[in-house]
Parts: sequence; structure tokens; C-alpha cells
Amino acid sequence: MFTNNYTFAGHVVEINSIFSEVHQYCAEYRSQKPPVFSVTTDQNDISYERERSYKEDIAEGRPHIEYSDSYLEELAVYRKIAEKAPDWDTLLFHGSVIAVDGQGFLFTAKSGTGKSTHTRLWREVFGERAVMVNDDKPLLTVADGSVIAHGTPYNGKHSLGCNISVPLKGLCILTRGADNSIVSISKQDAYPMLIQQVYRPSDPVQMHKTLLLVDKLAEFTSLYKLKCNMEKDAAITAFNGMKG
Amino acid sequence: MKISNSFIAHSDGKDTLLVSTGTSDFSGLVRSNASAGFIIKCLEKDTTENEIVEAMIKEFDAPREILERDVKKIVAQLRKIGAIEE
Repeated sequence: MFTNNYTFAGHVVEINSIFSEVHQYCAEYRSQKPPVFSVTTDQNDISYERERSYKEDIAEGRPHIEYSDSYLEELAVYRKIAEKAPDWDTLLFHGSVIAVDGQGFLFTAKSGTGKSTHTRLWREVFGERAVMVNDDKPLLTVADGSVIAHGTPYNGKHSLGCNISVPLKGLCILTRGADNSIVSISKQDAYPMLIQQVYRPSDPVQMHKTLLLVDKLAEFTSLYKLKCNMEKDAAITAFNGMKG
Repeated sequence: MKISNSFIAHSDGKDTLLVSTGTSDFSGLVRSNASAGFIIKCLEKDTTENEIVEAMIKEFDAPREILERDVKKIVAQLRKIGAIEE
């Protein structure tokens, strides 16, 4: 058993794992402070993740990859944290968060639409002003009238992100288009996508808390829909539309 | 029958939404109009199609056969996505 403490969205979590890999994966987030929550994984959790990833590959029409136990354990750890997160007014959200001048912008869309491509354009346009917070699965704390986006070790296949937290300025649904345009959208327009992209706990009580947090998320941050191509102008259009 | 444990009815301020938890294979969201929302509310407790129709007659100004058809249709749709526990 491997044990150490890590910070997720400002909360110290003790991770007790079978394999050591998850600890290397989370190393940047190590904490010396006492934990407020403890996660322990076993072989059943790994089997569960294997089954889930198999079903997801089938559902999305991807070729199925046989993952290692240690990788599946990394997923199991984050799932347990995501199940707990609503108790901390926090959601796991699928999207790419980039900060410019210290303010966060979140882009969300189904896998393969081009979230990561779009935030790469932001880095090209804004250079050192831009910092990747998390390219895949940030944690969002929704409280006191604002949303804070946190970097986490779980930051996508290119490991883009860092251990910082930024206030979220806007949340944008990304779609592809020939030209670039951005519009404000209502909570009602955004809701189906927000529900699709948020982590849905298995526990109905945690799921209920998640829905209340999604309501607040839609209330506390500005919502947009972007049509974009893969030119740098896409980043400029999005930033100008969202910077307020 | 009633709404399955793996679904939660939630209002977004206007419509009643039916959202699945992580345990369900269905990962969408059901957005309902007033009558479907009413049916979903009825299904939060154990009930029958007949009881729902009776409740709807009190609530909506529509002929019984229309309401019966609506209830049948909505319940069938919910059943299809695994949202009904018998």
C-alpha cells in the first residue's frame, strides 16, 4: 500500500493505493497538511474502471484499449474524489481552462470537437499572459457568488495544466464553424451541455447536490457559445467576446 | 411504478428536468413540458398510470382520452431509457 497526501481544490486528500503510479501522477499536488478526506482503492475499483472504460469505448465507437491496472487505479482515485467534491461545493467538469491575466476561461464540448486545439491557439496568441489551468478535467468550486477553477493532476493526455486556482470569468460551449463568432447564451440554452459535461455521482444525494451546484455555476459565471475555426482569429474572437 | 433511483427530477427554474446519476447507462437529460413535468412529479412516489391520469384530470383542462394517451406515451419513453422502476 502506498500512502501520501495531496491537495484537490484546496482540500487535502489522503490517497492509499495498491500501485505507486498515482503518487507520481499527483506529485505536484503533494501536501504536508493533515487530510480532510481519505481515498483507498482496491482491486474491485480497478475492475469497475475497466468495465466503465470498456463501455465508454463502445459507446463512443472507439477501438478498445486494454489499460493497465495502475492507470485504472488513477481513474478510480479521481472518481472517489469527484464523488466527494459536492460536499466542498465543488464539481468535476469536462473542459479546458486557460487563464489570461489571471482570469480563467473554460471551453467545453464533446470529446474530439477541438477544446484543446482552441486553448492552444490562446497560448499562441497571448504567449506569457496565458497559463493553462487544466486541459481536461478541472475542479470548479461554486460558492459565494463566484466560480474558482482549480488545476488538478488529471489534465488530459498532453498533461497541460498546473497547480493554480483562478476565478472563472466565462464558460463557453465550443462548436466548429467556418468563421468565428461568439454569443451570450442563457442558462436554459447551456443547461443540457452543462449536465453532459459535469461529473455525475452515483450516489443520488451527491447527484442532487451536483444539480444545485450546476444551477449556481450557470448563475455565477457568464455563458457563451463560440463557433470557431482553427485560426488564431478564433482565440481573439473568443477572448474579446468573454473578457467583459 | 416510480422513477428509478438512478434518476433525479430537478427544476431549472422553468422546466422539470430528469437527469440520470452516474450509475445509469443513459447519460442525457429529459426536458419536459408542463404535462410531462407533472407526470414525472407524480412518479416520484409509487403510482399507477390510472392514478396519474386521475391527478391530471384535476390539473389540466383536457379530455380524458388525450391525457390517457399522454401518460401512456411519456411513461413508455421513460421506461425506454430505464427511468422507471416497476
